[in-house]
Amino acid sequence: MGKPSLLKDVLKWFIGRPITIQYPYEETPIENRFRGRHFADLSKCTGCSLCAIECPADAITMEKLPEGVSVPKNPRRIYPVVSYGKCVYCYRCVTVCPFDAYITTNDYKLAGPAKLYSRDYSLQSIRGGEQ
Amino acid sequence: MEALSELLKEYALTTYSMKPNRLVIEIPRERVKDALKAIKEKYGDTGIYVSTIVGTDFPDKKQVRLDYYLVTHPDDNVYVLRTWLPREDPRVDSILDLFPGALSGECETHDLLGVVFEGNPFIKRGFFVPTDITSKGVFPLRKDSGV
Amino acid sequence: MAVDKVVEIPVSLEVPIGPQHPALHEPVMLKVYAEGEEVVKVEVNTGYNHRGVEKLTEKNSFYRNIFIVSRVCGICNIVHSDVYVRAVEQVMNIEPPRRAKYLRVLAMELERIHSHMIINAIMAEVLGYDTLFMYIMRDREKVMKAKEILTGNRVLGDYLMVGGVRRDLSEVDRERIKDVLVKLEPEVRKYVRVFEEDETIGKRLRGVGVVKPRDVTLHGLVGPTARGSGINIDARREGYDAYNEVPFNIIVRGDMDSWSRMMVRWHETIESINMCKYVLENLPSDGPAVPDETKLSRKFPVGEAFARVEAPRGELTYYVMSDGRQNPFRVKIRTPSFNNIINSGFSYIGYTIADVPVILTSYDPCISCMERAIVTDLRRGERKYIRFKDLSMGLK
Repeated sequence: MGKPSLLKDVLKWFIGRPITIQYPYEETPIENRFRGRHFADLSKCTGCSLCAIECPADAITMEKLPEGVSVPKNPRRIYPVVSYGKCVYCYRCVTVCPFDAYITTNDYKLAGPAKLYSRDYSLQSIRGGEQ
Repeated sequence: MEALSELLKEYALTTYSMKPNRLVIEIPRERVKDALKAIKEKYGDTGIYVSTIVGTDFPDKKQVRLDYYLVTHPDDNVYVLRTWLPREDPRVDSILDLFPGALSGECETHDLLGVVFEGNPFIKRGFFVPTDITSKGVFPLRKDSGV
Repeated sequence: MAVDKVVEIPVSLEVPIGPQHPALHEPVMLKVYAEGEEVVKVEVNTGYNHRGVEKLTEKNSFYRNIFIVSRVCGICNIVHSDVYVRAVEQVMNIEPPRRAKYLRVLAMELERIHSHMIINAIMAEVLGYDTLFMYIMRDREKVMKAKEILTGNRVLGDYLMVGGVRRDLSEVDRERIKDVLVKLEPEVRKYVRVFEEDETIGKRLRGVGVVKPRDVTLHGLVGPTARGSGINIDARREGYDAYNEVPFNIIVRGDMDSWSRMMVRWHETIESINMCKYVLENLPSDGPAVPDETKLSRKFPVGEAFARVEAPRGELTYYVMSDGRQNPFRVKIRTPSFNNIINSGFSYIGYTIADVPVILTSYDPCISCMERAIVTDLRRGERKYIRFKDLSMGLK
């Protein structure tokens, strides 16, 4: 009564290994279905713009496809570009797409200005991996 | 639920129900304080509390609607007292001496919609709204405020 | 003895949560007037930035509002989207399947566990017991992992949609969440024992911030603040979602001080762990829990609805009114901290200055702001700034 009952725990953790994950040197354990970076798969996208209309943060803009890319299903030749700075990762665009045209990953390392937009990821999806 | 509509029959203009089965009683704005006094006498000090005060702006009807939501204690029923105020002169008696818990609701409704609660010494314009909007004299939740 | 020093303290509370705490919280200023060490008068000033949400919801459609409304509060975001979705379902006359209701209850009870653990950790930190604060946060990480398995994100689980939930729960994940809860329960019981038996915590918390039952209902205080004073109000008794089928007890304690409020929260945590275990074992499979989001209705009937939910801090109410267009006509949000903090200026009077942060933390404020206190020495006319932590150790 009155004795600090955490004393045993304190001694145990003092001697044992700390629970902190040293992040840049160790990986954090993360789920497969974590809501991370997502981009449009241009082989299925038809340019209906539903994702841009429904985004609560207005993070998706529709842009014209560059010349020389053939998308038979997309008559208007526009595709969605996600701005990862504005996105809140609610995945409303993923679930509202009628053609299931979004590819989702659990990539959470998104800091840095180099890959801020999803243009390169989307355009790579129809070139089939050729650089 | 029937007990309260019996009690307020002399004050009530109409009664109907809001989803999901909450009783709504409309009373004219001069009788608000008397109706609440009668309710408080019936339920006692620990039987009822003021949960929310909601103001809604109807510019086409030129009225502001004010709702008082009351929750009774052991049986968990929700009652709504609804009054209509004219948009140009939205004044109503403050119920702060009966229910001191209405302080937060009254201050907020005044700051956002412009309803004046007479008898409440704490209402002032800078309660919630930042100063660049209060300096324009605009009430943000009105439909024509341009915010 | 003449009064020659008036301490005028605008006291702001620091909630040290760290980078996982999103924005949109109300900063609060308590102007405490004290004579010597005893508090004489308290004024509560607020200037907030989350009511812009009410005007913002009038400019977006009903479905976009689900995500906007969920970002009003970071700690209790699932309950905000739950009550908004229920109010919209009342207007549209939609009833979700039973499996979706059970999953919603699971998400909300996980929310309650992590919120109660963090406020108790903050109370330990305010008292100066930093070791206990770190240990509680370490065990809270297990709950965040469970939330990540269920909703896909640790903090902002955008989990609800009109007609059900957005992700389903597989058998493997169900076992993993149950493992987390089984490992968590003995740790929580250990912390309950620490709060009950430790002498220092008892001396700082017992008898401080007494609120009588009559004051509770007159001033409209809700949640564990009211249940710690003997008033038995709980919005879960209405039986929304699956609460009419999952058995639970409502914890009410009779001693009216800060200690009983924190014990109410710990015992509610244990109740929530039992409720989550019940939900995981008895999940029905009567219908698809996930509605097809591409086929949601675009027409909204005219009507209004008022929904209440039991957030970790009290009773949260939403009023949604629709006039047939794509955007709602009026959405009114009344959070429990709104009633608890602004109406509670009467309860600080008569206690010392070092009790002010303890009383404020026991009301569970959902705010995060700077820590600053200004002491004005009238005799010498100088002002100095004191850190919040030094203030809770007593004024020199």
